[in-house]
Amino acid sequence: MASAALIVFLASVGLLIVRNVWYSVLLLGVEGVALCGMVFLSGSANLEQFGVGAATLVIKAGIIPYAMYRVVKEWPLEYRNDRPLPWWGFVAGVVLLLSATRVNHLLSATGVIQNHTLFFYGLASIFLGFLQIVSRQHVLSQVGSLIAVENALVILATSVAGQLPLFMEFGMLIDLLVAVVILAWMSRLVHRQFNTTDVTVMRFLRR
Amino acid sequence: MIVWVGLGPLGVILLALAWRWLPSKQLPVAVAVWVTLMVLAVGVRFSLDHWHGGWSLWVLMVVNVVAATSAWDSVWWAREHKSANMIRYFIWWALFYTSLLVIALANNLVLAWLAIEFSTLVSGALIVEMGHRRALEAAWKYIVVASAGMLTAIIGIVFLYASLQTERLGWHTLDYANLQAHYLSIAPIVREIATVLIVCGIGTKAGLVPFHTWLPDAHSVAPSPVSGLLSGVLLGLCLIAVNHFVTAVPLPGGMLLAGTHLLLLFGSLSVVVGALALLVQRDVKRMLAYSSIEQVGIMAIGFGVGTRYAIAAALLQFMFHALIKSSLFYIGGHLSVRYHSMYLRQMKEMARRQRGFAIAWTIGILALAGLPPLGLAYSEWMILYALWQSRLWPILIVLSLGLVLGFAGLLQHLINGVWGKSNRKSVDVNMVGGGVTHG
Repeated sequence: MASAALIVFLASVGLLIVRNVWYSVLLLGVEGVALCGMVFLSGSANLEQFGVGAATLVIKAGIIPYAMYRVVKEWPLEYRNDRPLPWWGFVAGVVLLLSATRVNHLLSATGVIQNHTLFFYGLASIFLGFLQIVSRQHVLSQVGSLIAVENALVILATSVAGQLPLFMEFGMLIDLLVAVVILAWMSRLVHRQFNTTDVTVMRFLRR
Repeated sequence: MIVWVGLGPLGVILLALAWRWLPSKQLPVAVAVWVTLMVLAVGVRFSLDHWHGGWSLWVLMVVNVVAATSAWDSVWWAREHKSANMIRYFIWWALFYTSLLVIALANNLVLAWLAIEFSTLVSGALIVEMGHRRALEAAWKYIVVASAGMLTAIIGIVFLYASLQTERLGWHTLDYANLQAHYLSIAPIVREIATVLIVCGIGTKAGLVPFHTWLPDAHSVAPSPVSGLLSGVLLGLCLIAVNHFVTAVPLPGGMLLAGTHLLLLFGSLSVVVGALALLVQRDVKRMLAYSSIEQVGIMAIGFGVGTRYAIAAALLQFMFHALIKSSLFYIGGHLSVRYHSMYLRQMKEMARRQRGFAIAWTIGILALAGLPPLGLAYSEWMILYALWQSRLWPILIVLSLGLVLGFAGLLQHLINGVWGKSNRKSVDVNMVGGGVTHG
């Protein structure tokens, strides 16, 4: 499980740094496969667990990367690159990783954390996902960051609760699926109407 | 009960799907009639069986009534926006209506979270249906900011579940009743972290300052019937969900970051920012959106006081606000179509040029400003009295000043709009830039 969580964490770092959204799509697919592996390895081997693992594989490693791939495929090459991560993004990233360690230490006395390694990877990936939302400017980078936070949340949940109730697992998966479908549709519209994929160009509301 | 309530949105989806094969263009009327009939049926059923079911049934009835008015306003809106795809519009609308009903009925924190997150997505799609750049920009901002907030909240919820899973209640662990029964098993620091995450996370969706940045944009460019539901109903429902959690999982009184303290803090900030922003607004629907921030702040203060009287006052505030604000959004949308502008400086001489609208607008704005004997006056006085009883003097002063400022701002816009002289030389920049933007 720790290896799967490490893969998700490294993918989160990669998502924050890579500029080409092709690679972002690929990294999200890798996260999906790693999460699926983690779901199968965690908890008891029963039908519910198998259902969650299969749904994770289909949605997170299949439908979501494919939906994003279809959007990227339509765009000419010049629309596929995000701007480089600003210098403050690297500083903030380091600070956030240190604070994840601090929170891990702070909560250890409460007994709520079952697996400290997973907790660190989960929380650090969540922090990096939020950093990605504020520091990246490509529409698909923002969509990817929301998915990355949700993926990291699964690791965090496993580290503290082992397994979430089935209703919660499926509810969150379906919510994520709907979110990606709508955001992929909107990404297409943003490109079509604004002739860009940079969210900072959307400034009509400030006029 | 749930079957009865669910028939309303389900019927709308079926009607919208069936209309592909029917020649008539009267889909909006059919939807409005269906929703009204279902709302009446649910009302009659409740009055026969469950009338004494407490506040939640009243809240549910408010959601249904505002949804029915939104459906009827959609008839009018469809005539004004002939290019709109009404089939897609009503499918999104029905899904949004469903999410509102689920939030109102939810007795479980995760269920409420899922419904609130779902409401973000489908209402975002409804905003995109306006079809212009400003709408797309606002919807994007709305979905990204609100989803980030909701992801923050779910981290807190996961902590709560992890702390209580020894109770072995499955997903019922997060029922408000179970949370209330077992909250002492959760370590105080975990409770504190969860409280901050959940109040700030769902507070983002409720439009509390400083998490409100998406709200004026999204509410001002959404189709007016949707703005009514967003501003009038959804914001308050999110706050009610926060209140359910704060009441179920209290923190020791001395803790600085207790849920009630956070509600009082964010509520006061919202009242101040909303009231000040009201004074300088130029766009009719943005003005109403900022007024919603102020009103949500007032409700948050009521919930933050935390006494039974104050919570009742906050719920009353929600109900009056839902009915008044949704009506004003509908009227504001039609006015912007008639004046071919969303700018207040161009919506002048209403008393002479739009007499019917002028009367409705005047009554609505005066009610929103809290003028007795119109509804909000009572609930606002009740919240002020609750603050007095609880000796929360600084908040009492902030709220009183906020109410005076808000009253002045609304009155100024009302007088200018109804009796002010129009400046015919002004140009509507929105007709030039981002396409037709009136809602």
